[in-house]
Amino acid sequence: MTAPATNLQKTDAPVVASVRDLRVHFKSKAGIVHAVDGVDFDVRDGETLGLVGETGCGKSVTARSFLRLVPMPPGIPVSGSIMFHPRQRCTACDGAGCVACDHTGRVVSTCPACSGTGCSTCEQTGAETLDLLTIPERDLRSIRGNRIAMIFQDPGKALNPALSIRKQVAEVFYAHRSDELLASAGIDPSSHSLPTGLLRRRATQQSRTLENVLLSLPPLRSRRSAITAAADDRVAAALAETQIPNPRAVMDRYPHELSGGMKQRVMIALALACDPDLLIADEPTTALDVTVQARIIELIKELQQRHKTAVVYISHDLSLVRRVADRTAVMYAGRIVEVGDSEQIFHEPEHPYTRGLIDAIPGAHHERGRLAAIEGTVPELIDPDPSCRFAGRCDFAAEVCWTRDPALEPVGDRQVACFIHHPPEHGEAPTFDRTAR
Amino acid sequence: MTAATDQRTVLAVRDLKKHFPIKDGALQRVVGQVRAVDGVSFDLLRGETLGLVGESGCGKTTLGRVLAGLEKPTSGGVYFDLSEQQRTELDQALRAGQGEDLAQLEAAHRVDRLDATNWRRFRRNTQMVFQDSFSSLNPRHLVSDIVGRPLRVYKEASGSALTERVVGLLEQVGLGRQHLYRYPHQFSGGQRQRISIARALALDPELVILDEPTSALDVSVQAQILNLLHELQQNRGFTFLFITHDLSVVRHMADRIAVMYLGRIAESGETTGLFDDPIHPYTEALLRANPDLTGDDEGFRGLEGTVPDPARPPQGCRFHTRCEYATPDCGWEIDDVVLQLEDTPALFDKLVGVERRSPFDADLEFVDASAAAALETALHGDEVPSSMKAAIEQVSVGAQTVSIKFREVNEVLLTPRGNDRLAACVLDALPSRD
Repeated sequence: MTAPATNLQKTDAPVVASVRDLRVHFKSKAGIVHAVDGVDFDVRDGETLGLVGETGCGKSVTARSFLRLVPMPPGIPVSGSIMFHPRQRCTACDGAGCVACDHTGRVVSTCPACSGTGCSTCEQTGAETLDLLTIPERDLRSIRGNRIAMIFQDPGKALNPALSIRKQVAEVFYAHRSDELLASAGIDPSSHSLPTGLLRRRATQQSRTLENVLLSLPPLRSRRSAITAAADDRVAAALAETQIPNPRAVMDRYPHELSGGMKQRVMIALALACDPDLLIADEPTTALDVTVQARIIELIKELQQRHKTAVVYISHDLSLVRRVADRTAVMYAGRIVEVGDSEQIFHEPEHPYTRGLIDAIPGAHHERGRLAAIEGTVPELIDPDPSCRFAGRCDFAAEVCWTRDPALEPVGDRQVACFIHHPPEHGEAPTFDRTAR
Repeated sequence: MTAATDQRTVLAVRDLKKHFPIKDGALQRVVGQVRAVDGVSFDLLRGETLGLVGESGCGKTTLGRVLAGLEKPTSGGVYFDLSEQQRTELDQALRAGQGEDLAQLEAAHRVDRLDATNWRRFRRNTQMVFQDSFSSLNPRHLVSDIVGRPLRVYKEASGSALTERVVGLLEQVGLGRQHLYRYPHQFSGGQRQRISIARALALDPELVILDEPTSALDVSVQAQILNLLHELQQNRGFTFLFITHDLSVVRHMADRIAVMYLGRIAESGETTGLFDDPIHPYTEALLRANPDLTGDDEGFRGLEGTVPDPARPPQGCRFHTRCEYATPDCGWEIDDVVLQLEDTPALFDKLVGVERRSPFDADLEFVDASAAAALETALHGDEVPSSMKAAIEQVSVGAQTVSIKFREVNEVLLTPRGNDRLAACVLDALPSRD
């Protein structure tokens, strides 16, 4: 795995996003479903955080909350915050990487309210802080795909089948980099003349029919095609970065003409086009073959190292997360049960659920028919009682597990939500040696 | 490992092919064949579990469907329920070609030539569990109908006796009487897969074909289902054909494994041996790409390139286009040159036509002489694998054409490698990695 030195570095790294007490519920006929019920974690700059759990544990809802992609209704935002600290290009080296920005080419944006001295809006950190759950939709639009990007599970469904790859990827640049496009086309973006206005609207894909007619007339036509050419160059560069052979030819293809692995590469190119601070990958390889999956993982890792992007990697596959993530958070029934360094978690799981999951993966050491299955099924999340969500399937559950909620508290370098590690003040605590397995 | 106690062969598969026609044009003329399964042979002994692994599109599901009698094979045969002696006779008869012995054996055992009685016997003894339990259980039928249907079709039971049999089956798979009168949508994924298994076991079949039975399930539920399958096999002596892409699962479940690539078996053998010491480079690539909980990051690596078009499988060894150990004898051909050209659009746009004398020998015609010359230089460049360069016997540049002739090689066949292992590779063993 990653060398200890880099791990240390990563734990010291500044926090890019912190999720606090996130609760997202859903209305249903049977009652309120507590899909995500009090989730806390931090994502640090440049690290990969793995988010693992079984179907329905709330990992996708958590991820989608970052970009407010959970449909409301039926979703109900109950409480919580996702504090995001956007970063900006390092002024000392202009993005090339220097000592001031720790060779990332980026520095933390300063808080606009106090200009970096520390105030109540930025919780005395001096860094610009945005609560992704409350900022206006307009501001969020400038973050989506720009500062925070997302890769979805099924690239076949995430790409628009009616648009060529060129148009889909170019859209990112038109939406977030229109000034750069104008500049590369030799147009001064700050000018207020009518032609510039028309071209600016063109570069943000806002042109109406009449404007398009005007733009196709000789005086503007060449400059319009310069904008298109600038966008094309960027699209080709973005595709080339994900090791797509022959990007110029791929640009004119439609999604159905590409293989699954190639489509996922296009998705990654799209996501990383604007050099985001945070990349959310929601099961990006589940629909792919193992051989292709391994290639995509290598690619994500390599690009992450180059861009120094923080990645939240969501998967149900523990063995994969072990390969990918620096830190891992294990989710169960809307809660995080254990979070910590990946190597530690997979080597010595502390929470009974994590233990169960790891034992359930068939390996060379298992005798056939003796897989340690976790008996029972995930509990209904409709109006749950205060109790440990895992108590019904836990081999070690004691009285207290049925009556109180364990909180996520530190154990060594990790955080675990279990009474085994945090005995309650009253009543008998569960222990690992209660029942021999 | 459960050793097969009885040497009866449940299924003997001999040079099985299943091709699907590609139709085109207004008249729907057949313009090609997708060779989904293209010459597969193996034996399935009673009581053993054979794992069938491969990437998507390698033909493993089609093979499963042909074996279950759901598709008619294009050529080759599936022979059902042979004794040791009959199997030897079959192999002799097949080697000898047409004959009385063969005709007799085929009438009684070859699946696509069985008479009505034997066909019924075959069908009830071969059951299938499908990957997607959402679409393989009728949403408008009750569980009692779904699980009881095979018993009713074969007139095994009716009325209250049928209900009791169904309850018995449900209890075997960990469900109970309370689940009888429910619909599939009222169950979780794991429970639905249990219902599928109960239905497959209803007639006490000889062979159960499991097509990705756990790939839609979570690990904790997958473990429950795998334990259940093992227990059922122990108690009732089923033969399993376990089709999956998950190497960890197949390693856990199978006695023997066959690795498929592009319609062919690349390597087969006993599970532990195959995992510890793969012979075929494709097996090795699959193992390296499989993330597991042990092992370090060093070995974890993907595979370059994509699966070739099964309508035009590569010559020689089918894996040579992606193989890192490829030699000049692996079957380099004209199509490989065309593939290289596709990556250099400047040249590819100038290609007018390819006139093939054989898959190994062709004239490539370009619009101008400079493009032809450029191809010749490209063939000596770094982009071309060195083994491919070595396989070129002759290149001659004409006015606008380039004639290329590759070394002709035969199809790489499965050869015995000791210890019950078969592999289709020109190499004797994988080169060591030091």
